Amino acid sequence: MHDANAANEVDRRFIGTATEPWTVEVEKGAIRAFAAAIGDEQPLYVDEAHARAQGWRSVIAPPTFAVTFRPPLRPPWQAALDEGRYLAGEQWFKSERTIVAGDVFTCRLHLVDVVEKQGRNGRLQFMHAEMRAHDASGQLVVTNGRVTAYRAIGALKAHP
Amino acid sequence: MSAPVSPLHVGQQLRVRKPAVTTTQLVQYAGASGDFNRIHYDQPFALEKGLPGVIAHGNLTLALTASALQHACRQWNGGDALFIRQLSARYLAPVRPGDEVEVQVTVASVEADGDAHIELRAAVGEREVLAGRAVVAPRAEQPQSHSKEPLP
Repeated sequence: MHDANAANEVDRRFIGTATEPWTVEVEKGAIRAFAAAIGDEQPLYVDEAHARAQGWRSVIAPPTFAVTFRPPLRPPWQAALDEGRYLAGEQWFKSERTIVAGDVFTCRLHLVDVVEKQGRNGRLQFMHAEMRAHDASGQLVVTNGRVTAYRAIGALKAHP
Repeated sequence: MSAPVSPLHVGQQLRVRKPAVTTTQLVQYAGASGDFNRIHYDQPFALEKGLPGVIAHGNLTLALTASALQHACRQWNGGDALFIRQLSARYLAPVRPGDEVEVQVTVASVEADGDAHIELRAAVGEREVLAGRAVVAPRAEQPQSHSKEPLP
C-alpha cells in the first residue's frame, strides 16, 4: 500500500526557499563511523596521532562526508512527501578545503529548482537542492548539491 | 611563480573493485550518514514502493567511487592523497546488496593551472551504476593553511 496521506507532487512554491540554519560540529567519532561504513578506514580518517604527524589539526573527513550535514527537521518542501518514492538522481560537491574534526559549520539546505520529466512509467519531479556549509569566519567551505527524483506512483527509474 | 604541475597525466587509468555491498553496510551507512530512508534497509517497505528490494544510498555509491579515486591518486602521486576540489555524479541504476562495484578512474585532461579533470565510471558487471567527474588539485592540500590553532 502507498502512503495515502503523501502528496503526489512537490509544491513548487518552495523553490528559492531554504531551511533554517543549523550548526554542525564535526566529531572524530562521526568521521570514524562514516569511514567504516564506506569501507575506507584510512589512518588520516581514524588515527589522530597519524593525522597530526601529517600536519593536520585532527583527523580529516572523507571526500563525501558533507552528506552527513543534514537538517535536524525534514525540510518544509519534503514534509508532505513519501520518502519511499525518492530516487537519487545526481549529486555533486564543491570544496574549498578538507573538512577536519573540530570544524564548526553553519549549514542551510536550499531548494534551488524543481524540474519535471515524463518517464516511461510516469511522471518524475527532480528536486535540485543545495546544502551550503559556512565556517565561523563566514567562508563557504563546502556545497553539496543533490538532484532527487520524486516518483509518481509506478515510476521506477530516475533516468528513464 | 610558475603554475603547479600535476602529478597526473592524461590517459592514466585505474580500475578498482570494491567488496560486495552488504545489507549490514547499508544499515551502517544509514546510521553514519543520517539518511534513514527505509528503502535502504527495510525489504518489505522497499518492495511495497515498487523497488526490486532494498537499494544502496546513491551517495554510498559515490563514496565508494571517491575512495577509488583517492586510491588512484595516491598510486599516481607517490602514496599521498590529492585534494578533490569538485566531485559530481549521475546515478544510472541502483546498487543492491551483493553487488561488487568496479570503479574506473581516467585522467581526461590537465589544465595549465595544474588541475586535473577525471572521468569516473562505476559498474556492477555490465550494468553501469554511476557516471561522474572530478577536479583534482595538483598537490595535497597544505594542512596548515586553515589551522586556527598553532600545531603542537
